[in-house]
Amino acid sequence: MSEIGQRKSKLEVKEALKGIAAEMHNKMEKGVPPSMTLPVRAKTNIGFDNKLGVYKYGKKKSTRDATSLGSARQLLRSLHVTEFIEQMIDSGKSSTLREMYYISEGWGHGKFGSQNESNNLAEDLEIVTKCLREDFKLRPEEDGARIIGNITFEERNRKGDWMRINCRDDVGDSGYGVPYNVESEKLTLIDEDVDFIMAIETGGMFDRLVENGFDEEARCALIHLKGQPARSTRRIMKRMSQEWNKPILVFADCDPWSFRIFASIAYGAIKTAHISEYLATKEATYLGITADDILAYDLPSDELTKQDLGALDSELTDPRFNTGYWKDQINLMKEIGKKAEQQSLAKYGLDFVTDTYLPEKLADIGLAY
Amino acid sequence: MGGPSGGIKMVDARDISSKQKQIAVSEFFEKNKHFLGFDSLQRSLITAVKEAVDNSLDACEEARILPEIKVEINRLKGDDIELISQDNGPGIPRDAIENVFGKFLLGSRFHAIRQTRGQQGIGITGVVMYSQLTTGAKTRVVSKIKNDSSAVFVELGLDTRKNKAIKSKERRDVWLDENTGKEVIHGLKIATIMKAKYQRGKQSVFQYLRMTSIVNPHATISLIVRDRDGEIIEDAKWIRTSERLPRVVEEIKPHPHGIQLGTLQRMLRESEEKRMTSFLRHNFSGVSMRAAKELLSSSEIEEIRNPKRINSEDAKKLIEAFQKVKLLPPPTDCLSPIDDLLIKKGLSKAIDSRFASTVTRLPTVSQGNPFQVEVGLVFGGDLSADGPIEVLRFANRVPLMYQQGGCALTKAIESINWKQYGLDHPGGKGLPKGAAAVLIHLASTNVQFTSEAKEAVSDNEEVSNEIRKGLLEVGRGLKNHLKKNTQRKKAREKFELVNVILPEIAKKTSKILGREEPDLAPVITQIMNAVFCEEELGWDKERKLATCSIQIFNYTARARAYTILLKWPESDMVSIVENSNGGRKEARGIWAWRLDTLNPGSSTTIHISLSGLSKGDWTDTDVFFRGNGDIIGATKIDEKILEEIRKTEALSAVRKEIHEVNNIDTDVGEEKVIHVVTENGTNQEKIDIFSKFEEDEV
Repeated sequence: MSEIGQRKSKLEVKEALKGIAAEMHNKMEKGVPPSMTLPVRAKTNIGFDNKLGVYKYGKKKSTRDATSLGSARQLLRSLHVTEFIEQMIDSGKSSTLREMYYISEGWGHGKFGSQNESNNLAEDLEIVTKCLREDFKLRPEEDGARIIGNITFEERNRKGDWMRINCRDDVGDSGYGVPYNVESEKLTLIDEDVDFIMAIETGGMFDRLVENGFDEEARCALIHLKGQPARSTRRIMKRMSQEWNKPILVFADCDPWSFRIFASIAYGAIKTAHISEYLATKEATYLGITADDILAYDLPSDELTKQDLGALDSELTDPRFNTGYWKDQINLMKEIGKKAEQQSLAKYGLDFVTDTYLPEKLADIGLAY
Repeated sequence: MGGPSGGIKMVDARDISSKQKQIAVSEFFEKNKHFLGFDSLQRSLITAVKEAVDNSLDACEEARILPEIKVEINRLKGDDIELISQDNGPGIPRDAIENVFGKFLLGSRFHAIRQTRGQQGIGITGVVMYSQLTTGAKTRVVSKIKNDSSAVFVELGLDTRKNKAIKSKERRDVWLDENTGKEVIHGLKIATIMKAKYQRGKQSVFQYLRMTSIVNPHATISLIVRDRDGEIIEDAKWIRTSERLPRVVEEIKPHPHGIQLGTLQRMLRESEEKRMTSFLRHNFSGVSMRAAKELLSSSEIEEIRNPKRINSEDAKKLIEAFQKVKLLPPPTDCLSPIDDLLIKKGLSKAIDSRFASTVTRLPTVSQGNPFQVEVGLVFGGDLSADGPIEVLRFANRVPLMYQQGGCALTKAIESINWKQYGLDHPGGKGLPKGAAAVLIHLASTNVQFTSEAKEAVSDNEEVSNEIRKGLLEVGRGLKNHLKKNTQRKKAREKFELVNVILPEIAKKTSKILGREEPDLAPVITQIMNAVFCEEELGWDKERKLATCSIQIFNYTARARAYTILLKWPESDMVSIVENSNGGRKEARGIWAWRLDTLNPGSSTTIHISLSGLSKGDWTDTDVFFRGNGDIIGATKIDEKILEEIRKTEALSAVRKEIHEVNNIDTDVGEEKVIHVVTENGTNQEKIDIFSKFEEDEV
């Protein structure tokens, strides 16, 4: 699926979508229920692609055919979406996934039951057509990341003009807002003067590092992930890693959910494994907080909940965490039965994170400053 | 105690033991008010309503009048409440009024045994007494009997020392109904003022009347409650759903198995018989000449001894012999079951539900006492799905409202694993949860209660077993209903799929691709790949017919041939008046149609109408089939079981014939027992056989 990164022309996209309708139509002509074939989107069907260095869907396919009411409705919805995308391509418009969800109100039996359904279906269509959501003129509602640091982009604004932005000098305290489309037609990476790029899970820690002037002191760019990172966030990190060849570090809480954030950045997310090579930054490093840190720094911690333990167990059977490092971390966490937030470092004062913790952690991976 | 109104048998004054007589009745009342039902302000009102309504129902039943009972409650100053109860019963003759309302009837041993409501509770005298004690008010009575030209108006108080009524302000006048203004032809009205409290909830007058209306579908009952300012705060009416009065129950003599020493001694003392053999034969049920002789020889008493000369030693021996010698069971026609169909109607008038299943078990005997159990289960509709199910307990048609947890009827419900039958039953303990109500009616000549309060039935294995069997039966019905619901839902989904969604898919792909719409018939066959059957029960309002349509769709690629069989409520009163496809009777209650070959993609409909039923009588049925390949929505018939039904039927026909021949001999005893077994037996066996079907599928 390496062709996925290559952008398609409008005609190609329309043809690819017609392929979906054709598969159904041909089946019905043969007297069998219409269907759509998709890879199984679960952790049981992702495998490491040696060539690409990321996790991709395996060979397990599921056929969505019209033998149950639910599946038949999904097929009908796919056709409605196909038609809708065609109309948008022809009229040069785009819509958010949420808008599409509301537009589906007029689709009779093909309308969506929930926003989640429309999001999933958009991904289904990407997988089947090997197109990108951006090709479909569908925008996510999701909030892109914020970036602060001495790096420079050029973004094409609404008037169609290229605008140069330095993420340290041309932005306010909230940083540069990453747009939903960070492909080359919209965004160009111009220049940088940093040693590494650090992605931070929580807004509180991002603001702490900004206030402490960590970006200048440590010569880095800071990205606020806002929880599970949006596609555009992961894509821009991938581009910075590729085009600037800078180390990408992830600084998150120490809990099972943060591990998953890292996995989606470094190895590829289960939901978007069809475009992992396009979104995942295999060079990314997990900086902290690690389970060892809880012990080493004697951080204030919380007991693991039932859900946390379930998530950890699930990660132990997730191929992405099937490495010595992660197995050790997960098992250690289960052993001590604790989790800790990034901001628990404040136990030792507001400057502890920038004066002690991060310099020590960076030194460990050879990035002392 | 016997229903007092209408000049019905009263318990003889001799029954009141001399010791009790010496205590002032008011003192007795005061001491025992907890089990007389007058221990709290709230309960006193319920008890008073209960005594009045029970009397009205009993009186109407005896006089063969469809009861119309109005209860009115008016809040007065303080805790004072005015209670007015009026019926359209036979009324009470002038001379009997004093006895009915003025005598405290103590002791409850009867020489004649039968099932009456009044057996519980203290009687209407208690109401007169309570009113007098709490407010000093007299009870006003209006009574009109059909043959008199005018009604009697009288006010009653009690002379608590002499245990008799004091009449005052007696007059005769025309009685005009306050609401209609018309003259009342016959009826009884009582009005009194007492200290009491009207409250809503599980234990309330409302709930009592609601429950009463369920087990008395032939009665119309209304309730009006007014606040102090005269504003109506409760206005309820349960209209009769059946015109059928409960049958008049036969009185029977006690059965030796249930007799205690004291009772036996009193019977011996009071007997007019000269010889022990005739004493035994004429005072007990189930004792034939042969059995009487055997009893006497076993207890070493000469047959010619005079009953009055039997000493306590001998009486004890006789009691022992009662348990040893083989006796006929007592006749069971002294019981008045409500009837499963009528319970269904009763439930439907009080509770809006989606499913109702009821069963009347065969009468049985426990320790010489005939009893019969009836069970009903309603599900869905307006019933709340949160919390435990509602339990409706009845003994001899009287609602039991207190001590639910300690009652054998409740325990029987708790002993069933309801999970198996589709109700939530956490831990398999306590009451199940869900949108259901369970009704249990215990009809018996001698209901054993845990205490004098008569609110909870005491444990009895035979009774519990009968209830459990009944519950399992209605439980199976529920399970079947729920299973059918899921099947129906699935079938409906498939129909939507092929009839709505699939054509839309075809239209869309054709439009997107600019190609012609494909022929969907083969696709539909492949998606459905089954034969579907859906039955719909309805009601033809115009012609008063119960209807049933059975639609069969062949969505397979092969032609199919089936015989469809339908379970219908066949009886002497119910017959098929319309039948689209002819067919034939396969067995009692089962009609069969041989269908023409059903081609792929085709469907056919069978339609029948039944006369002799009322709306709501036929709400659930089963469709069976004979032939190759499954039908979704129908059950393959088990030929062996069908054969059994036929055999049972033949057997009962023979028995009936024997019974008719024997009926010329009107002597009580053996024949009567057979009579009951045959008549109800057929029905019972039939039901059990169907339950087997259901279990086979599991």
